[in-house]
Amino acid sequence: MTYLSPQISHLVAARPMSVTMGNAIRQLKLEISGSDIDLPEQDAKDALCQKIDNYIRDRIIIADQVIEETAGNKIKDGDVILTYARSSVVQKVLLGAHAEGRQFSVIVVDSRPMLEGKRLLSVLASAGIQCTYILLPALGAIITEVTLVLVGAHSIHSNGAVYSRAGTALVAMMAKLHSVPVVVCCETYKYSETVQLDSFTKNELAPQGDLFSSFPSVKARDSLTLENDEHLEILNPLYDLTPPNCITAVVTEVGVIPPNSIGSIPVALGRLL
Amino acid sequence: MSPPLAAILSLSQLMVESNAGTMFELVKELHDGAEELKRHTTNPISLNAGCELFIAFVTLFPHESDSFAELKTELVKQGQKYAKEAISYRNKIAELMLDFIKDDSVILTHSYSRVVMRALLHAHKTKRISVYVTEARPRGLGVKTHEVLTAVGIPCTVVLDSAVAYVMDKVDFVLVGSEAVVESGGLINAVGSNQMAIIAKAAHKPFYALAESYKFHRLFPLSQYDLPTHNPSILSFPSLPPRPFVTPPTTSGVSPPIAKSGIDESLNVTPTSSSERSMSAEMTAKNPDVDYTRPDLISLVFSDVGILTPEAISQYLVAMFAG
Repeated sequence: MTYLSPQISHLVAARPMSVTMGNAIRQLKLEISGSDIDLPEQDAKDALCQKIDNYIRDRIIIADQVIEETAGNKIKDGDVILTYARSSVVQKVLLGAHAEGRQFSVIVVDSRPMLEGKRLLSVLASAGIQCTYILLPALGAIITEVTLVLVGAHSIHSNGAVYSRAGTALVAMMAKLHSVPVVVCCETYKYSETVQLDSFTKNELAPQGDLFSSFPSVKARDSLTLENDEHLEILNPLYDLTPPNCITAVVTEVGVIPPNSIGSIPVALGRLL
Repeated sequence: MSPPLAAILSLSQLMVESNAGTMFELVKELHDGAEELKRHTTNPISLNAGCELFIAFVTLFPHESDSFAELKTELVKQGQKYAKEAISYRNKIAELMLDFIKDDSVILTHSYSRVVMRALLHAHKTKRISVYVTEARPRGLGVKTHEVLTAVGIPCTVVLDSAVAYVMDKVDFVLVGSEAVVESGGLINAVGSNQMAIIAKAAHKPFYALAESYKFHRLFPLSQYDLPTHNPSILSFPSLPPRPFVTPPTTSGVSPPIAKSGIDESLNVTPTSSSERSMSAEMTAKNPDVDYTRPDLISLVFSDVGILTPEAISQYLVAMFAG
């Protein structure tokens, strides 16, 4: 365990501890403390590596496949699906449903500074899905056309609140106002027993400057890139909190769960493990 | 006997007559049997609930017996035992409901529901109650409720479906039955229940749903139109023949008479002389049979497993089906 602490500190120095990091590290520590004392060192290490691989396989890769299928079943012909920024799970769901021959169109809502939606847009468009791209302020103009909102999550909390890319809460609230169902696709490894009541606690800031113009065709508009100076501080929080009453359903690999019953995830997991 | 229980009994019978040699074959036969049952009914939701419950039970049953034949006999026995016990569920629910019905309660209910009837008749033995029931068009089952209640001496008045908001302020609480209670904690019931729940919420009246546990279903409708009973013909607009082209009017007074006669010609409206008109069968066919009531509109669900909040329904279903 003492060997792990500096490793963990190194990871945290690179990036603040997130819910998912915490869950994975806790699981690893549990496996370590549960491993047989009499086992030779190399065997114990191999067993742990196997457990880590299993975690990745079961809780992430296979979970994504189950979510892809379950959420995909909610997509019907003629749907206009709205998604925000870029969630890898949502991308899989949309590509999967399209591969099954379902006819639908997608509206990608994007915002600065990350502009992650551009990458999702290029992937969906090259797969042949009909797409529309708008920035967040234009949401009010198109929300009446939308039949389903599909978003990903950074973490979900036991009070049913969803922590996701900043801007998701606005999309969810607007959708709720127009009676559009909001479906959050989220693997169970993102579940946290804590209660999250506001967007401020545990948020992270995006690094300064236009560091995210790694996407080839984005030219950094220098005039738009603000710099900190003695009278100006740039604040770019990465996440925000969507309250449970704006969410219709959370799709996880253990089932489709209403937001107020998120507490049943550990119950479902406990039975499966 | 309600559809889910009938489904459980028929599937048990199917098991008796099946010559499946392995669990896999048996479960496959049960799935095929369930599909066959669903094919013969227009509203398969509650039937679905019963079938899935039974198949999940069979799949998760602990395999302690040595031979497959023994296991099969055990499963059949369990299925029949369950069906027999399930008959008593309505009485359990009626008993739980009793404490929530105060003397001189005015209750609003919808259409005809056997479990609601049991609860009301049970309450009538010890308390004074009066009941408003909606007509529940197009089937008009509310009139049947009125007959049954009046026959035992409960004051009952039939209310127009459109008069629910009118009567809501006089009511103490709303009580409905269910086709199914779904994973979101919402309710699927005869069309008109959602309306009633919305009005009850606006008038701050409790909305109670009664549901036997075999009606709990793993469905998760995202909206009315996400129900399995919804199809494109429901609430669709008719395709009318194209309107004859009218030249744009020079004054506003000219155009309306021309347009109106155009419409009359294409629709072939036969004027009825009676003071009450009713929908034609074709019109009725475009309307839904059931609707979905969201969990935030429901106060409590009374079932044989207890009195549950809508949030607890999902936890119960997860616990039951996760094994």
